[in-house]
Amino acid sequence: MNKVVFESVRKVFRHRPALFNWVGRERTGETIALDGVSFTAASTEVVALLGPNGSGKTTALKLISTMLLPDGGSVRVGGFDSLRDSGKVRRQVGIAVATERSFFPRLSARENLVFFAALDEVPRRERMRRIEEVLCITGLEEQADTLVMKFSSGVYQRLGLARALIKRPSVLLLDEPTRSLDAAATSHLWTTIRGLADQDTTVFLATHNFAEAAALADRLLLLDHGVLLEDRMLSGHETAEDLRAIYFQRTGDHGAGAEDEAVPALHRAEATR
Amino acid sequence: MSSILDKLLAIVRRDLLTAIRHRTGFVLTLAGVLAELAAFYYLSRAIGPSFRPNGVEYFPFLLVGTGLYTFFVMSAQAFLNAVQEAQQTGTLEVLMTTSTAPAELLILSAISAFAGSLVNLVIYLFAGVAVFRAAIHANLLSCVTVLVFSLVIALALGIMAATIQVAVQKGSAVIWLLGSGLWFLSGTMFPVQSLPRPLGFLARAIPFTYAIDAARGAFIQGQSVTAMAPTLAALALFGLLMLPLALGGLSLSLRRARQCGTLSLY
Repeated sequence: MNKVVFESVRKVFRHRPALFNWVGRERTGETIALDGVSFTAASTEVVALLGPNGSGKTTALKLISTMLLPDGGSVRVGGFDSLRDSGKVRRQVGIAVATERSFFPRLSARENLVFFAALDEVPRRERMRRIEEVLCITGLEEQADTLVMKFSSGVYQRLGLARALIKRPSVLLLDEPTRSLDAAATSHLWTTIRGLADQDTTVFLATHNFAEAAALADRLLLLDHGVLLEDRMLSGHETAEDLRAIYFQRTGDHGAGAEDEAVPALHRAEATR
Repeated sequence: MSSILDKLLAIVRRDLLTAIRHRTGFVLTLAGVLAELAAFYYLSRAIGPSFRPNGVEYFPFLLVGTGLYTFFVMSAQAFLNAVQEAQQTGTLEVLMTTSTAPAELLILSAISAFAGSLVNLVIYLFAGVAVFRAAIHANLLSCVTVLVFSLVIALALGIMAATIQVAVQKGSAVIWLLGSGLWFLSGTMFPVQSLPRPLGFLARAIPFTYAIDAARGAFIQGQSVTAMAPTLAALALFGLLMLPLALGGLSLSLRRARQCGTLSLY
C-alpha cells in the first residue's frame, strides 16, 4: 500500500518586494520550488531524494511533514490529506531537519526529549522507556543529561533523529542526516535506517551523498529546479558511481553538485536488512 | 483534557528550567522590582499625603496600577520573545510538526509565559505591602475575579502579538503600543478623570483601564464583586470579543505562514 502519495504537487515561494526596495536590491518575483511533482512511496521503502541545491528536496520533505502546505495538487500520508487532515498526518510523520539548532539550549537532551514526547502525545507511562530507547538507538546515552547548548553539531544531529523517532513515526523524513556525523556514527545510522524500514517505516532521505543513497535506498527520486527528472526503483546492487552517472546524465550538471564522500565502506548488501 | 494538562505541564517545566538556569536574569528581575517600588514610594512621599486619587493613598494606587500594567506588558513580551526565539532557532517549524495542533501549542505556551508574569505580579504586590507598607484592604474573591478577567485579556493580547509576529515578523508593534500610548491612557499613574474629555473617551475604550480600575477596587478598597459589577461586565465583554478574535487571527496567520513558507522567518 502506498504510504505517501504526491499528486501533481506545486509549491511556489513568492518574494514580496520590500517597502523601499530602491534602497537595497532585494529579489522580487517567485521561485517555483516544486512543479507538478508526482510520486508514491510504500511502507518499508527507503526513498532517496537527490538533486542539486535548490532542487526542491527539502521542500518535498517539509510538505510531507505539513511544515509547508502545497499550492497545487495534493500530498497524502497514510490516506490523509495534508491540507484537510494535517493533524492526522503529523501524528504519523517524524522529521529530522538539516539545521539541528532547533532545541531548547538550556535543557538537557533528555529534558528536550521529554518535552517533545509530551507534545507528540507519547503516553506518560511509556515516555521514559521510549526516551531511553531513542537515546540508545542514536548512541546518546552518555550525553543525555548534558545541556544541549554544549553539543557539537554531530551530536545535535543525532538528537534531531532521536526526537524524530520518539513518536514511532510510520514515515520518517531525514534531511542530510549524516552531514555532520563521523564515520562510526554514519555507519550506525545507516544500520538504524534499514532496520526501521524493515519494521514498516517509510523513510525519505534527502542527501547529496551518492554512497549513502546507494547503501540505503530502494527507490531514487531525482529533482532539479522543482521538476522530478527520475523516479526509479533500485535493485540493491547499484554503486555510488552508478547513481553519480544517473545524476550527472539527467541534470546535465558536471560540476560539484553532489558528493561521493569517503563514507564508511558499508554497501547496501552489507547493511542490516 | 488530561493530554492538554500534560502538555501544559511540559511547557511550564521547560520555561521554569530555562528561567532557573538563567540565574543572573532571575536575580536582576527581583532587584528591578525593588528599585521600581522604591522609586514609586519616594515619588508618592514627595507629592505628599494630600493627593488621594479616587480617594486612596497614592502609593498603593501606583502599586496596583503599575503592577497590573507591567503584568500585561510582561506577559505579551514574554510570549512574544518565546515565539521570536523559536523562529530564530528553527524550533517553531519543528514544533509545528508535532502531534499537537499549532494553535493549541501557542496558547499553552502563552499560558506558561503568563504564569511567570503572574508570579512577578505577586512578588511585586507582596514587596509593596511587606517592604514599603502599602495600605491595602483586599477582598479575596474580587481579587481572584479581576485576575481571571485580566488573564483572559493578557492572553488575547499575547496571542495578537504572536499573530503579528508570525504574519509580518513585527509583533513588537503591540509591545510598542502598550509601552507608548496605552499606559498613560489607562490610568496607570493617575486617574483617567484627569485626562481631557476626548482622551477620557479613548481611555474608556481600552480594556486595561477597566482592569486597573477593578484591581484597585478589589485590592485597595476591598470592594465586593457586586459593587464592581459594571466594571467586571465591561472586562468580560472585552475578553469575549478579544479572545476569539485573537485565536481566529492566529489560526489564519499560522496557516498562511505554512502556505508561504515564512514560519521561521524573523
